[in-house]
Amino acid sequence: MSRSVRYSSSPLLASKTPVWRSKFIVAAIALGFAVLAARAAHIQIFGNAFFQRQGEVRFVRTLELPASRGRIMDRNGLILASNIPAASIWAIPEDINGTPAQLAELAHLLEMPPAELSKKLGDEDKTFVWLKRQVEEPVAKRIAELGLKGIHQDAGFKRQYPDGEATAHVIGFTNIENTGLDGMELTFEKHLLGRAGSRRVIKDGKGRVVEDVRDKVPAIDGKDLQLSIDSKVQFFAYQKLRDTVTAHKAKAGSVVVLDAVTGEVLALANYPSYMPDKRKNLTGEQLRNRAVTDTFEPGSTMKPITVAMALEAGRVTPQTLIETGPGRYAIGGFNITDTHNYGTLTVEGVIQKSSNVGALKIAQKMTPHEMWDTYTALGYGQKPQIQFRGAVTGRVRPWKTWRPVEQASMSYGYGLSASLFQMAHSYTAFAHDGRIIPLTMLKSTEPAVGVKVFSPENAQAVRRMLQMAAAPGGTGQLAQTVGYSVGGKSGTAHKQVGKGYASNKYRAWFTGMAPIDTPRIIVAVMIDEPSNGQYFGGVVAAPVFSEVAQQTLRLMNVQPDVTVKPQIVANPVEESL
Amino acid sequence: MTRVNVLLLLAVLASALYLVHIQYESRRLFVELEKAASQMRKLEMESESFLAEKRAQATPLRVDKLAKDKLQMRPATPAITQYVAHRETAAATPPAKP
Repeated sequence: MSRSVRYSSSPLLASKTPVWRSKFIVAAIALGFAVLAARAAHIQIFGNAFFQRQGEVRFVRTLELPASRGRIMDRNGLILASNIPAASIWAIPEDINGTPAQLAELAHLLEMPPAELSKKLGDEDKTFVWLKRQVEEPVAKRIAELGLKGIHQDAGFKRQYPDGEATAHVIGFTNIENTGLDGMELTFEKHLLGRAGSRRVIKDGKGRVVEDVRDKVPAIDGKDLQLSIDSKVQFFAYQKLRDTVTAHKAKAGSVVVLDAVTGEVLALANYPSYMPDKRKNLTGEQLRNRAVTDTFEPGSTMKPITVAMALEAGRVTPQTLIETGPGRYAIGGFNITDTHNYGTLTVEGVIQKSSNVGALKIAQKMTPHEMWDTYTALGYGQKPQIQFRGAVTGRVRPWKTWRPVEQASMSYGYGLSASLFQMAHSYTAFAHDGRIIPLTMLKSTEPAVGVKVFSPENAQAVRRMLQMAAAPGGTGQLAQTVGYSVGGKSGTAHKQVGKGYASNKYRAWFTGMAPIDTPRIIVAVMIDEPSNGQYFGGVVAAPVFSEVAQQTLRLMNVQPDVTVKPQIVANPVEESL
Repeated sequence: MTRVNVLLLLAVLASALYLVHIQYESRRLFVELEKAASQMRKLEMESESFLAEKRAQATPLRVDKLAKDKLQMRPATPAITQYVAHRETAAATPPAKP
């Protein structure tokens, strides 16, 4: 039997659906939408800031745009300090899984004993350890090529100083964060330092930058700095100084070369020195910029100043006769002596022969106040206006406290102290026709404007005396150069040890200028404790002056003012054209 | 009416797809630009370090040593230098006496 259902008349369909059911469904769906709308409103309107921030945290990054430190250049634009890429190597000790051979290679590349490396990597509790900072690019590349797991690199820069130890004291150096610590790097920190910029970017899943979120703040690179230093003069001065200090078994030495027209410092070298980028095991002896930080009693190099002030005050003329016999003079319980009995000398002769008795007799024609005023005007006992931190003032006691014996000893350079730099600076008054000029470490082309201390005639008269002192018959004849007339004064001072003077420890000085009629440069040399038999300034320091002055003038293209016997062999054969 | 709506819907869809494409394209180009910029920085750095290297190879110390050792040169002195006065200044300053 077939069973058939007649759907149209299904009793189920026939029954009436209650209205509340459909209403309920509609209400439920409406509620669902209402919840969604409320949630949307919550996200989009009320909690918007929070969600935006959360989103940004996940894909927006702030990148730092590093600024590079300015370069330091010499007067001719040669680089004295610049930046080279250098990576810092670090490790996560627990990730290291290299073979012993690989680790040995790594230790070799890092220039550290394998034991030290394994000690650094041994501490597995640490999650971060610096292996070496500021590794030069080629080495860093080779380390990366080792492909060791757990060894990472951060890119960075390091300062490089091509001239090394020759310019070390002038340029100084920076620390590992590239902040200037010494020399020009420290003085001009603000000038050299750049300002890092930043940018907000969106990064995609692979870490690529895909969009700038807002305008970037560009990095401002540090400005370059051009010094007055001439790298060739500097090198030559350093080399001569080093050779001389070594040859005379001296403790140390300094050279200062000044441009007598513009007041620029052309060279400033000290020995012992150091390599600015290899500063392990450095001693204070090497680090000290002696030319500006160490003061000494200048000895006879002060005599021209004594004479100049007496000339200026009208107490003497260059030809005034001074009785220096018998080479001794007793004052205040002290006996002041000359090396020889020179008898009666002119004022010029006092400088030429470097007579202590003569100098003190000239000083006795002056009052302490007059002397103090001139010393101060010449920068003695004053802080030098030069861009070096730690430039010392030296010492000149207030004139009211001077006893006669002190006034006398100051005339030949004892009882007051000055740095080599101050010494060289004071001589600009002679070179610049009586005007002392301000000095600078920065390049300048304008002639310096000085402050009058002596009249041009008196400055000229002193220059003539300096020329005599450096000529045959004077104490500084070894200062002679080929082709250029020179003038200068040697000095030899006993070193002060404790309360007295050491009888066998000396400092040798020579300060002079060339060419003498219209000086272009001033060169000051100091050799500390020459102990190879000779110790006189005229023997030890004057040759350094001679060579440095000659080379400097040649490099400055100054025409010789003294007739030179030419050694050029004229080509006798006519060249065919 | 319906036809206009369909047309507008299609236009909206097309515009939306185009926007997606443009956005993609702009990011792609931006990545390229970034790559080029970082290449530029790298090359700049390289050029800077080559300059430093060049300078390090030409320090007076090294030149002096090479000139003396390899080329047997010696420092010039006025004794072996012929000075010629510049034409304009020749009248003002007498030429170097030979």
